[in-house]
Amino acid sequence: MRVLVIIPAYNESKNIKSVIESLKREAPQVDYIIVNDCSKDNTAQICKENYFNMVSHPINLGIGGGVQTGYIYALTNNYDIAIQMDGDGQHDPKFIKDLIRPIINDEADIVIGSRFINGEGFQSSRMRRMGIRFLSSLILFCCGAKVKDVTSGFRAVNKRFIELYANNYAQDYPEPEAIVFAKLMGARIKEVPVIMKERNSGKSSINKWKSIYYMIKVSMAILLYRATFEMGD
Amino acid sequence: MFFILIIVFIRKKAFSLKHSLLWLLAGTCLLISAIFPEIIDTLSSILGIVSPVNTVFVLIIFFILVILMSITSIVSKQSEKIKRLAQYNALLEKRVREMENEKNRIDRSA
Repeated sequence: MRVLVIIPAYNESKNIKSVIESLKREAPQVDYIIVNDCSKDNTAQICKENYFNMVSHPINLGIGGGVQTGYIYALTNNYDIAIQMDGDGQHDPKFIKDLIRPIINDEADIVIGSRFINGEGFQSSRMRRMGIRFLSSLILFCCGAKVKDVTSGFRAVNKRFIELYANNYAQDYPEPEAIVFAKLMGARIKEVPVIMKERNSGKSSINKWKSIYYMIKVSMAILLYRATFEMGD
Repeated sequence: MFFILIIVFIRKKAFSLKHSLLWLLAGTCLLISAIFPEIIDTLSSILGIVSPVNTVFVLIIFFILVILMSITSIVSKQSEKIKRLAQYNALLEKRVREMENEKNRIDRSA
């Protein structure tokens, strides 16, 4: 089983080195690829100097485009499992083996690392938890996928979904949409408990004001996805 | 007024024939209705519009909406294509960079 960790990074010059080092230490058997989404700081330079495995977008595509580049890379290099892991140190590489185990045992197509199952570690603010709970029930209602931590960017997918995601991945705030897409394509989705940390440094891609836009956009996207899928099928 | 529009359209044709077809269609319709105003009058009475000029506005709004929609669809397709280009460009850049690193290494050891 060849495993690839996809690390989307945007302006993560402060975090990226420690993320890669802890990944190499905790999970030496897996390969990784950093997707530098046209960072404005010297993320690319740091990666080059340290000979990290990195692709670098010429223009900023957003998180969805970056993750998709990772999936295209996984597809062309024939990986069996791809794992998404944020480049800001929120996700601990020691959980990688928990994420890939259900796929190796062929129990699931997609495994999502959830911070809410055991309720340990960084739980995010109250408002965000409410938003996540709302999206979670919306997804359950729309496509019957039972996922608690729908916005988790820590997930593993098998070969079939590497290919599907390489061809079709949502753009702006892709995590919840990717779940809906996968479920509609017949994925077996499993959640495993992970412990997330608060990000080391730098700002989250979603701030207070954007979160309202985020909720509306993602809800619309989920509903639209559902509707167009029925028509197209 | 419609003649000016048409001239603008014909000039637009120089940009891209594919995308100016809708404009030409709209312009032709408006030109025909300018030459034969009876069309507008009959259309008004069919639709129950009292003032014929409102029919002209309805027509124009209709064309504008259709053209806007087609532009939105073109924009969506293009952004998808640009995204693909950027992604494959990034993957190629990585391969080139690695080849250069390899070449430098060989050159230095030689």
